[in-house]
Amino acid sequence: MANRSELGRKGNKPDLLAGLIFIVIGALGLWAGRDLRMGNAAMMGPGYLPLIVSALILLIGLGVTIMGLMSSSEPIGVIRLRPLLIILLAVAGFAYAAGSLGFIIAAAWLIGIGSLADPETRLREIAASIVVLTIFGILVFIVGLGVQMPLGPF
Amino acid sequence: MEFFDSLILGFSTAVTPTNLLFCLIGALLGTLIGVLPGIGPTATLAILLPITFFLPPLAALIMLAGIFYGAQYGGSTTAILVNLPGEASSVVTAIDGYQMAKQGRAGAALAIAALGSFFAGTVSTIGLAVAGPTLAGFALSFGPAEYFSLTIFGLLCATILASGSVIKAIGMIGIGLLLGWVGTDVNSGSERLTFGAVELFDGIEFVVIAVGLFGIAEIIVNLETPESRGLIATKITSLWPTRDDFRKAWPAVLRGTGLGTFLGILPGGGATLSAFSAYTLEKKVSRNPKEFGRGAIQGVAGPEAANNAGAQSSFIPLLTLGIPSNAVMAMLLGAMTIHGITPGPSVMHNQPDLFWGLIASMWIGNLMLLVINLPLIGLWVKLLTVPYRLLYPAILVFCCVGVYSVSNRAFDVALAVGFGFLGYLFRKAKCEPGPLLLGFVLGPLLETNLRRAMLISQGSPSVFIERPISLALLIASAALFVLLLVPAIRKTREEAFVEEEA
Repeated sequence: MANRSELGRKGNKPDLLAGLIFIVIGALGLWAGRDLRMGNAAMMGPGYLPLIVSALILLIGLGVTIMGLMSSSEPIGVIRLRPLLIILLAVAGFAYAAGSLGFIIAAAWLIGIGSLADPETRLREIAASIVVLTIFGILVFIVGLGVQMPLGPF
Repeated sequence: MEFFDSLILGFSTAVTPTNLLFCLIGALLGTLIGVLPGIGPTATLAILLPITFFLPPLAALIMLAGIFYGAQYGGSTTAILVNLPGEASSVVTAIDGYQMAKQGRAGAALAIAALGSFFAGTVSTIGLAVAGPTLAGFALSFGPAEYFSLTIFGLLCATILASGSVIKAIGMIGIGLLLGWVGTDVNSGSERLTFGAVELFDGIEFVVIAVGLFGIAEIIVNLETPESRGLIATKITSLWPTRDDFRKAWPAVLRGTGLGTFLGILPGGGATLSAFSAYTLEKKVSRNPKEFGRGAIQGVAGPEAANNAGAQSSFIPLLTLGIPSNAVMAMLLGAMTIHGITPGPSVMHNQPDLFWGLIASMWIGNLMLLVINLPLIGLWVKLLTVPYRLLYPAILVFCCVGVYSVSNRAFDVALAVGFGFLGYLFRKAKCEPGPLLLGFVLGPLLETNLRRAMLISQGSPSVFIERPISLALLIASAALFVLLLVPAIRKTREEAFVEEEA
């Protein structure tokens, strides 16, 4: 049950976030499609549907935001930056390394950095994961399935 | 006799060594992820989608389908034994199943769940085989106007049956549509919504969105909450249910099968909705509803039959109309597209071995699952002790290499990082990513058919009203929309999903 200080407060945080996402994406769609030809209903140009749908998303965003402001307070839930940032960094690093440095370095980075996202991970486990999964990846993906990725930077 | 010829064709295609092997792999993988909490069938399909590119088309579909229905079997095992539902669709099974396990009747609960699932799987597979050709024949007469109205109807249904706010779900569909239109416009050849990035001229790959929203985002969310582990209630002594158990369970299995088959066909329906509805139904028809929550076998039998029936019958709209009804079916559509197959009524006609082979393999897969689950139950329970921190790096490798392999370029992996972050935001904003995926796969179809229909009618929207099937679908869509505004119905819908979120 909500205690007294929360009782009078308004603002459904998940709804407000959703509204913000919709507004940003809708506006982005309108901006990206600003030069596209609309055409008419019989001969729809490339911009016809994208612009209509972008505007609709923007309107929904406004609606959700207003509803979120009026409904009773609801928190957004736990947000932990550690797994979020580490996992995104690990995958982004893989993307960077895959093209130039090759699979071995990319996979080692992905597994090594990615493992740090869980605070309980031990160093020995990370080392074992890197060795086992990299070898597994080379055998299954590169050799077995023939994924076109160089193994090393040379 | 044509029906039997088709079935024989299906079975002869399904029992080739390759197809049997991938059916088994799919069933095993499905059971595995069903047992492990934190890895759902949607994420698994997203992660394995790129790999199926290297397989023959039918083997790929057989394996992916096996993962989906296999997860329904596996999810019930952990729900009963450790009160940890591996899948959303087995959340209700845990209520009475775990109580039965505490009373020393775990074996009976597991056996009834598996047998009920097998029975339901058989019935709805037959349903698919019977309904498929009829629906597909009907759909062959569809023109662009009908397809447009059908797509609208499907998308709208999906928002209503999905959990959470309807308006947010519509917004998510909109975002999906926009993403589906990124790239070169087929009619005019002009680039749109690409922000000038050459890599986007061919559009965004389905796998990139699926892996980002469902794979990467799910790992991050799972890592935010510490792992919860149940304890195994008792040793499993006897697997065989008593005569009394059977007497009580079989009507529940029948009801669950019927309900699940029906709800699975509806857009937005599927395994989870079927299981929840079946539990509510069992509670309503029972003579002593107080038993529920204290180990009533009907509370296991009904939902377990329903979730498997729902899982199977949700293939019907995809295979006959080409319209996926939920996120899992959108993944299968993605798999078909990777192999150059356009799902829809023509598949049955042009590639009967593919259609009937898949159906036959689903029945074979259900049979395999019965064997995989009952005698090997001890093995699956042991797997529960593998910690998530050792599992997720392996999942990450599959995600990244899979996304890379689609077009052999690092750009897609970088794009998946963006979708991973977006998927994380969506989860915090309580927006279901499923409708977005549906919008994404249906966006191009929607636009093409709308353009064609309007071109033929010279810009007059009356074409959608003049054609009877199209009109009926639009009226149904409008009726659904109006129904949602009725406060009483809105309230029941919210209540129906409260249990699910709890």
